[in-house]
Formats: sequence, structure tokens, C-alpha cells
Amino acid sequence: MQGIAKQDLNKVLETLSGGGAALLVPMEIDGVTRFARWEQGAKTALGAGNTLLPPKEALFPQNEKVFNYEMSNEEAKIVPSAAAAEETIILGIRPCDVRAIQALDNVFLTKDYVDELYKTRRRHTLLIALGCTQPAPTCFCSSVGGDPLQAEGADIMLWDLGETYGLEALSDKGKDLLKKIDKFMSKSRGKKPAAGKFSLEVDSRGIAEKLHNMFEDPIWDRWYQKCLGCGICTFICPTCHCFDMQEKHTGQWDGYRYRCWDSCMFQEYSLMAGGHNPRPTKKERLRNRFLHKLCFFQERYGMLLCTGCGRCVRECPVGMDITKFIKEVSEVSLNE
Amino acid sequence: MSDPSGEMRELAKKLLENGEVDRIIGWEKGNLWYQSPPLFITRAEETDRLVFDDFAINSLVTYLLDERDSGKKTGIFVKGCDSRGLVRILQDKQIARESVYVIGLPCSGKKDPRQALSSGASESSQVPPAAKCEECLYPNPVIYDVIIGEAVEAKAKGDRFAAVKEIEAKTADEKYAYWTSQYSKCLRCLACRNVCPACNCRECAFDISKPRILAKENNLSHNMVYHLTRAFHAAGRCVECGECERVCPMGIPIMQLNKKIIKEINDLFGPYEAGVKLDETPPPLGTYQTSDPEEFM
Repeated sequence: MQGIAKQDLNKVLETLSGGGAALLVPMEIDGVTRFARWEQGAKTALGAGNTLLPPKEALFPQNEKVFNYEMSNEEAKIVPSAAAAEETIILGIRPCDVRAIQALDNVFLTKDYVDELYKTRRRHTLLIALGCTQPAPTCFCSSVGGDPLQAEGADIMLWDLGETYGLEALSDKGKDLLKKIDKFMSKSRGKKPAAGKFSLEVDSRGIAEKLHNMFEDPIWDRWYQKCLGCGICTFICPTCHCFDMQEKHTGQWDGYRYRCWDSCMFQEYSLMAGGHNPRPTKKERLRNRFLHKLCFFQERYGMLLCTGCGRCVRECPVGMDITKFIKEVSEVSLNE
Repeated sequence: MSDPSGEMRELAKKLLENGEVDRIIGWEKGNLWYQSPPLFITRAEETDRLVFDDFAINSLVTYLLDERDSGKKTGIFVKGCDSRGLVRILQDKQIARESVYVIGLPCSGKKDPRQALSSGASESSQVPPAAKCEECLYPNPVIYDVIIGEAVEAKAKGDRFAAVKEIEAKTADEKYAYWTSQYSKCLRCLACRNVCPACNCRECAFDISKPRILAKENNLSHNMVYHLTRAFHAAGRCVECGECERVCPMGIPIMQLNKKIIKEINDLFGPYEAGVKLDETPPPLGTYQTSDPEEFM
């Protein structure tokens, strides 16, 4: 296997970010681990496991301008926004988050609707994934169809081999990029490592089919009550992609429309113009979130909308544990 | 501290069997050893799930607001800090005293699941006490119908306002730089509001869309409006349970500002402790006197 010495990492990062590409790597900023633009001297948090914030904001920012509007002399002018077509490299993204980007690709690029803002960013983004040798206590990617060591859909795959990072190009874009850092590469003695043991495991096979018939099941009554109704799980989720459209008036006759992350856990999310709310309580909202993750998305796109990154398990202040939910669903007998 | 879970289960079972309460809110063991999340039970045979271990850190009292119109009676377990939140909700007349059966649990401090994970510990004894518990002044419930366990001594030592003084010593520019870096991180997940016993309004201004009071665009300006408005709204009503800061995924030091306001209120109107006495007069900023020296009053 080809490899780069860890002591050369800074030089490699410097080379990759040369030529104007935005190089996003895991870093700790004001106490929060997230993907941020690497600059000479910046300290990476590559070995710190999964970042608190997933890299989705690089492709789907929390706020994004859609168009500017302007009115004058009884005429309205609309100027659509274009996403910046900046070459971006996301380095150190974990396999679960790569799968999450595949889910976002499904949403924004398939089924008759192509989101131009997302498409532009995505086309200019290259993914260098880092395999996970030791899953965190809250990780469960292998339980929802993922592989901690292999990121299908990434352009380059990295593995921590101790003194070196082993690497392998998975796409033509990846091969081209490796040529740029050719001089740092040598034959590494290591081979692709084995994955450590998961402490969180659950059998999710058949979950979508089962949930399809559980809309009115009493399980929701047992699960919703402890939910705080906050948006932590949706905002730190690498796959959650719901947004709202809002306007900002910057003057009397001009302004812009933007989209911003929204959360299905908020009561306002499903509030309709006339005041009716089809998901009036936390029960309906929690049900919607779990069904979207584990049933509707599978039915529409053939994959779960959960990649087992474990962020919600880790960060939910009331210990809402989706693996426990999956297990409980599997124990429900629908013939009672 | 001896494990009170046996007594808790027995009492909860009796309350449900007698029909004295419709439901019980306590804690249960989660999937992971460092989680003891909230538990809701309505059947006597489920009471064996109740626990009160090092990780029973969640305050349960804001859940009472979800059922404030249901007419149901709830049996609820409260630690010292939680009980002050309950007093707060009762004083704001959000629920009737008769609608709760309060089971007090003296508490010598809890541990934070996120800290358990980040410290790499493999058992509870390796996890440091939760930050919010280090400054606890009221480890014993201030309101209860029955209490399980012996009273414990408050362990807060040192200066309650040390973190406030640290900020006060900064220049205006330094303060601005500090708070803006904190508020820039905010995701506006609203967890701090949803967990807060002082935030018990039926409709929060931040949820109103017509007219929209707080824009949904996430930026420093809007995030500051959110945090500063909430801090002022909770002024004189914050019971220092520290839940806001515990639940924040971004590590924003929310209690630092709340404590600054508590300090100011103490200096101006004090001494005053929110949520300690149920039958006291309203909090300083919730009342007025015609003899107030401020003319605008």
C-alpha cells in the first residue's frame, strides 16, 4: 500500500491547499470539533474520532441566499444566487459521513429535481476519507449497513497505520489529486487495518418494512414523552437536510430570500398558514423523524437516513437512543 | 450515599396502584452505562426500571408543562436543584400544587454523560462531578411531599461568582470578543430554552412566525438577540439548576451570564434566591412598589 509519513502531514496539507482549493479538515474551534478551512499552522483534530458537527455545512450551509430581489418603478427584479464554485477538499471525513453525503446527493440531485446550489458545491468537492480503526462507544455504522474502514463514494481513502497514513485512490479525481502529493508518498509497510469492536450494535434488517405498518403503534407513546423538542439531533445529524425559506428585507424595496436549516422537532416546522398543525405534539414530531430516518427514506431511495455516526446518541440531553428504538421495533409483534 | 432505588420503586408502585397518581416521572438506565435518561411510567409493573444513580442528572420538572392542561396527577422525583425549578413553575402558576406528588431525593452531586464520554472513562468512579453540581447550594429538595434518604451538606465552596468576576475584569472589547465567539457557535437548537424551568411561557416569542420576532437566519446578531433576551427574561427567575449549559451541545457558557444577572439582582434588591420558598412574594423583577425611587416605575 502507498503511504505518507505522519511527519509530512503538514507539507501534504500545504500542497493540497495550494492552488486556491479550500481544504477542510477536522479542527477544534472554540471547544467545538468541526470541519474548518486549514491554513498553515492550524492544528488538525484528525485523530479525535467523529467531529461534533458533521461536514454537511460545506455542501449545505446553515444559511444560504437563494436570490436577491429589488423593486423599482413598478418593476420587480430577481437575481438568482449562484453557489461559489470553489474547489473544496474535505479531508478526514469518516465513512459514516461519506454515506451521509450520498444520502444528501439522493435528495438534492435525483428524482426529477436537481438543486443547483448543492450541485455546484458537490461537483467541486473532493472527499478524502479516513477509515475508523476504533469505533467510539456511540458508533454503530456497521449496524446500519456501513463499513468503518471503507467509504464507498469517497475519492481517496486513508487509514491510520501508526507512523504513516496508508492511502488508496477510489476515483479518477482521487488519482489525479494523489499525483500532486506524489513526492511525499512511499511504499508503506502496513496493510489495511482491521476494525475494532463496536460497543453499540443492533440488527436493523427489515426495519423499514416493519415500521411501514407501525404508524399507529403504541411504541410512539412510550418514546415521545422524554423528548425535549429541541433541534440538537437534527442539526448535528449528517443526513438531516430539511430547510425553511425566508426573506430578509434589507431596505423598503429590496432584500433577499434565503434558505436555512429547519428542524422537524420544532412545532413551527409543520405549522400551516391557517394555523393548523398536523403534527401538534412531540409524539407526531418524533414519529416523523424516526420514520423518515428508518422507513420513508429507505422506501424512496433504497437506503436508511441514518449512517450510524452516533452523534445524536452522544449529544441528546435526554438520552434518546435510536439503536434502542430499532431494537424495540424489532421486538414488537404486529400480530397481537 | 446508599442506593434509594428500592424505596423509590416501592413508593412509585404504591402510588400507581392506589391511583394516587396517573403517572410517574423518574430515571432509568439507558443503553450505555453513563446514561440514566428520564423515564415515564403509568403501570405499577414498570416501576422496577426506576434508578437514581450518578447519571440521574436530568431535571424532570419541565416535563410537567407538557401536561399542564391534562388534569393528570404526576408523581415526580426531584433533587435539590430540580425542586427549585418546580417552585418556579408553581409560582408562575403553570401547574397546580395538587397536580403533583413530589418525591424529594437529597443529592450529593451527579455526573454528566458527555463528560463521561469525553474523559474516556470506563466506569462512573473515573468521571469527574458535573460542572453544574460543583456549585450546588441546595442539595436537598426545598419542596416535597415525601423525602427518601438523609439530608446532605451543600458542597459548594469558594466564590459562587468567581466565573462572573473573571469576565467583569475584562475590558469592554475583550468582553465583546469573548461573548461574540461564544454566540457565533450557537446552532439555535433551542435546547437551553426547552429545558429551562423559568422558560415556561405557553408560546415563546421565538416561536412566533407572524410577525416573526426572531429571524431564522443563523448569524451572530440574531443569536445574540436570542441569548440576551432569554437571559433577561429569566432574570430573577433562574434557579441555577445549570440545565441550559449542560444541554448545550456547543459548550456556550450560558450560566456565566445568568450568574452575572443573579449577582446584580442580589446587589440591587437582595439577598434573593429564586425558587427557594413557594409562598414568598414574587421575584424582584416580577413586582413593583409605588415608592420605587426610579421615576419611570
